[in-house]
Amino acid sequence: MLEILGTLASNALSLPGILGLGIGMMTRQPYLAGSLGGLVGMLEAMIFSGFSLAQIGALELTFSVLVGIAAGMIGCMIRRKGVKV
Amino acid sequence: MNNRQDKRNRLSRLWDWFWSPSTQFSVGFTLISGFLIGILFWGGFHWTIEASNSEEFCVSCHSMETNLGEYRQTVHYYNHSGVRAVCSDCHVPKEWDHKMKAKAIAVKDVFYELIGSIDTREKYEARRIDMAKTVWKKMRATDSRECRNCHAFEYMDFTIQETRASSEHQRGIDEGITCIGCHQGVAHKLPPNWLEEYEKLKNPVSATRPGRLWVDALANAGTHQSYSIGSPAE
Ligand code: HEC
Ligand code: HEC
Ligand code: HEC
Ligand code: HEC
Repeated sequence: MLEILGTLASNALSLPGILGLGIGMMTRQPYLAGSLGGLVGMLEAMIFSGFSLAQIGALELTFSVLVGIAAGMIGCMIRRKGVKV
Repeated sequence: MNNRQDKRNRLSRLWDWFWSPSTQFSVGFTLISGFLIGILFWGGFHWTIEASNSEEFCVSCHSMETNLGEYRQTVHYYNHSGVRAVCSDCHVPKEWDHKMKAKAIAVKDVFYELIGSIDTREKYEARRIDMAKTVWKKMRATDSRECRNCHAFEYMDFTIQETRASSEHQRGIDEGITCIGCHQGVAHKLPPNWLEEYEKLKNPVSATRPGRLWVDALANAGTHQSYSIGSPAE
């Protein structure tokens, strides 16, 4: 449980959370925003494992992708709510 | 009733104002102020995280004083060269992702401090083995990453180490045993049943991270004895 909460929080505060939100704010399509966010999550898991696939933990990967998708979606909502174009 | 409605209105007006297009601020002004606020926020955030790594911060909680006392009697606090390791050097990872995770998990300790899970000597000793096991599990899963921020087999001059140290270190390299596999109790007293409990950890059932199973597999290879510097606590 702690492991899960900790992983969620650390992802929200690093690339998936922050870059994911930023990228999400660049589009009005929620699905595009979500997939781009998820991509950032995947990228982060790769960067932190030094680009060796064997080193990526399943838990880490899952959570950074999930947080990325969520952040992308939220970014997209902000875009739709706060920008006219 | 009326009052409540008023408050509700004010909140929803604030919400509407927040999302309304700004006609007063230029794009440049908004960007520059957002940028400045961002820097301030980031600096403050970073400063807070750094401040929460200091020894003073850790022992600002009464619960951590037992460990402080014990650690002060070890070579990591007081030694011939004057170089030392503070609590966070051994307990908080340096890498951003691991560090944020450790900090987020540590929020639980504020709760434990409030309910006083270890606020007396007796409670502390009763809980020590569980806490020590938490730390051991982490170190085993990371190949003692925090120790290796300062120490590394690669840079040890085996010719000037005691024979027992250099031969054991060679065995550590050969058999893939991590630092904590032999050096339990480097900074704190050990509970009486520590060795037995540590041996139990070698059962890979405790490993939850599939990607890191190899660490346990390696640590389990061959038999190994444990050496400790701290003597068991009464
Ligand atoms: C808010 C008060 C408080 C602060 C500040 C604090 N601790 Fe603790 N810590 C506790 C309490 C209470 C426990 C016991 C938790 C339990 O009963 O499970 C604990 C447990 C621990 C454990 C045992 C393993 C674990 O994860 O439960 C370690 C290691 C530890 N603290 C290290 C530190 C370090 C290093 C710092 C400084 C960076 C620190 N603590 C700062 C209150 C605190
Ligand atoms: C901040 C750097 C740092 C970290 C982190 C660190 N150490 Fe050390 N350690 C030192 C220094 C410096 C000395 C030598 C002090 C001296 O004798 O001058 C030392 C000495 C030792 C010794 C020799 C003890 C003796 O009695 O001579 C052992 C064993 C040891 N460390 C194990 C560990 C283990 C295990 C960890 C991880 C839990 C660890 N260290 C983490 C800096 C560190
Ligand atoms: C197979 C067991 C084993 C492993 C694994 C192991 N050590 Fe040791 N280490 C020993 C023994 C035994 C000694 C010598 C007795 C003592 O000081 O307790 C020793 C001594 C030391 C010393 C003091 C050397 C000196 O000359 O003063 C340091 C520092 C140290 N170890 C650090 C580490 C670090 C860091 C790791 C992980 C990278 C590690 N050890 C892994 C068994 C081990
Ligand atoms: C040289 C590395 C090192 C330093 C410095 C260090 N610790 Fe530890 N700590 C450990 C290790 C290793 C364990 C695991 C239990 C053991 O082997 O003694 C541990 C265990 C603990 C525990 C779990 C309960 C117990 O007694 O085993 C707490 C709480 C703790 N440390 C707090 C602190 C605090 C507070 C400081 C600073 C005053 C500190 N530690 C400094 C290495 C260190």
